[in-house]
Amino acid sequence: MIAPLSASECRERFWRLLWTGPLLAGILLSCGQPRSSDSEAASAAPPAVAYETHVVAGDTPPPGGSLRNPHNGDAGVARGGAMLFNAMNCDGCHGPDGTGWVGPNLGDGRWRYGGSDAEVFNSIYYGRPHGMPAFGGTLGIEGVWTLVTYLRSLTPPSNIPTESWQN
Amino acid sequence: MGAVRVAVLISMAVALLCGHAARAAPQPASGEGDWTMPSKDYAATRYSTLAGINAQNAGSLHPVWTFSTGVLGGHEGQPLVVGDTMYVVTPWPNVLYAFDLTREGYPLRWKYRPEVSANALGVACCDSVNRGAFFADGKIIYNLLDGHTVAVDARTGREVWKTQIADVGNGETATMAPLVVHDRVIVGAAGGEFGIYGWVKGLELSTGRIAWSARNMGPDAEMSVRAETFKPPYEHGADLGRESWGNDSWRTGGAPVWGWMSYDPQLDLVYYGTGNPSPYNAEQRPGDNRWSSSVLARHPGDGTLVWAYQFTPHDNWDYDATGAMVLADLTIGGQSVKALVHFDKNGFAYTLDRATGRLLVAQPFAPVNWAESVDLSNGRPVLNPGKQTGASRGNVKDICPSLEGGVSPASPPAYSPRTHLFYTSTSNMCMDYAARPAKHLKGVPFVGVNAPYSAGPGGYLGSFMAWDAATGKKVWENKEPFPNWSGALVTAGDVVFYGTLDGWFHSADARTGRVLSKFKVGSGVIGNPMTYRGPDGRQYVAVYAGFGGDWALIAGDTRSDDPADIRAPADPVKDIARYTSQGGMVWIFGL
Repeated sequence: MIAPLSASECRERFWRLLWTGPLLAGILLSCGQPRSSDSEAASAAPPAVAYETHVVAGDTPPPGGSLRNPHNGDAGVARGGAMLFNAMNCDGCHGPDGTGWVGPNLGDGRWRYGGSDAEVFNSIYYGRPHGMPAFGGTLGIEGVWTLVTYLRSLTPPSNIPTESWQN
Repeated sequence: MGAVRVAVLISMAVALLCGHAARAAPQPASGEGDWTMPSKDYAATRYSTLAGINAQNAGSLHPVWTFSTGVLGGHEGQPLVVGDTMYVVTPWPNVLYAFDLTREGYPLRWKYRPEVSANALGVACCDSVNRGAFFADGKIIYNLLDGHTVAVDARTGREVWKTQIADVGNGETATMAPLVVHDRVIVGAAGGEFGIYGWVKGLELSTGRIAWSARNMGPDAEMSVRAETFKPPYEHGADLGRESWGNDSWRTGGAPVWGWMSYDPQLDLVYYGTGNPSPYNAEQRPGDNRWSSSVLARHPGDGTLVWAYQFTPHDNWDYDATGAMVLADLTIGGQSVKALVHFDKNGFAYTLDRATGRLLVAQPFAPVNWAESVDLSNGRPVLNPGKQTGASRGNVKDICPSLEGGVSPASPPAYSPRTHLFYTSTSNMCMDYAARPAKHLKGVPFVGVNAPYSAGPGGYLGSFMAWDAATGKKVWENKEPFPNWSGALVTAGDVVFYGTLDGWFHSADARTGRVLSKFKVGSGVIGNPMTYRGPDGRQYVAVYAGFGGDWALIAGDTRSDDPADIRAPADPVKDIARYTSQGGMVWIFGL
């Protein structure tokens, strides 16, 4: 679910932050209804992108927006993402076709930091602990979405949880 | 016990006195039962004069103690033993443990937990490894993955100094063990997969202050090269380290330092190997790319470069030369030679004159097809034109050895002055190599290749062998079902020790290779066995278990701690995960 954001939160916290290049046209940022007052929002903890797979304490999600991939399911963009994956040296850590190297496998359908569009976007854009660099400044928003589209086009093998050996 | 303690105190006092009296001695005095530096001695022989364990009784070797380090990263390197304390450095987060060998169960005296950045994990090319510590001047000195060198009081565990030597943001990490000579701590950085501008540094032993820094390539002025003192055996001219790189590619040319160092006190030369040039697509760096994939000889005091020899000019296969440079006095053609012996990733074993760098012997010790031979007249490989790579050549098939090397540089050999033989692990894999243009982006990989491996010829993937470096001939070889990745240890008992990737620890007859004992240690062995005399006067052998290093990348299905990282079996070692998983442990064996 998408947590509600005030209009100013959307504007201040997301659009201005992410609107950093000419390639933003496809970004869809989904905002809820404006809250009762902007001043109330300003005194609260700053919102961030909602992490959709987190456990929510007290069943009360913090305010946050959700990013949607403008290229979701676009096979042409996914092919471009495969080229970008190599061009940006992603394979240097995640292996050929993202099958895992010093960094984790990205094609197994499992995600350390969540597998929603927003979560994968944030992993690439802002980086993650334990070594994932922040690529947002270099790639821009459109570049990151192109990679997200590619990664989500990878089909996990069917026998993922079990590895077995016959004599 | 009391008598032993008194004896230890006396020997420590003597060591202290000797340390002050004999200022010319390059290393702190230590007993033959100690193991105070990574490779046992400055010659990097990994040879111990202890003979309590011998070919007659080694069959009854058994584990007497184990300890989980609590760390899953690949456990390369080896423990140290100084007096009655054993020191163990873990992979990141680089915990230093000090075990009291005088008490039952060897409880800790202390442990030191440095602050070390997790960001380094994404800049370390090949797992979070650490290759060990060095004891000198009452301090345990080692590198942290995030580019710091620390000195810790060996008695109390208190940090004495900490110096930043490398920049993680620039793709540098520190995985090697330092070498301490006189009042210098010599260190280098890994980062051949990140386009670093490779270097070595000399730190002051007492303070950690960086006394000198020298590049492994680039203009002479940055390499500590002066015309009057730099005498490479085969090349002449100024700025060899710059002129051999087209397009000024030396600026991001790699040539990291992450292996082992040795030292000749008479010549006052430190020897170390450099890693691969960056990127792996060699067409972006036309020329020989000196001094990547080379051995360099420097004076430790100020870093002056005295000679350099390049094993793999214009390396286009990732043939790092960071493996050990073992110093031994050999008889070659009736002449006594002060030799340097090196088993290179490129599959050739080299015997050089360590005073001049001139090549004496070069023969393949593993299947090789990238070159036909090495020309002793000019030191250069005779290339096989069909196995040269580059983006314009497409996918070049079936190159041997693979980029894992005929032996891993992380698996150092041993040399016995009794048998006059060298002992080394080997890896028998080949590769296809599809290079493509790579873009340099600070802090991320600068590679540009897809290079899948296949099994080498002969139906085995690795071995442990004995080698005669005077003639360049194999003497015996124990073939293994998997690439062998442990270092070697040999003793005056004429016993050699090694581990296997599937987790066996072996002792074998140093003269014949006959296996005398074997024990399954719970995880693949990529560390290096060492031996010491315990406070009880008995000889022990210690080794790390802890699968990893490159294998954490290649055989990712050995991992069990991350439910979000599930991988297919590795080719060509498809069933290694049947025999091992990750997990660091220290093992001690005795009779």
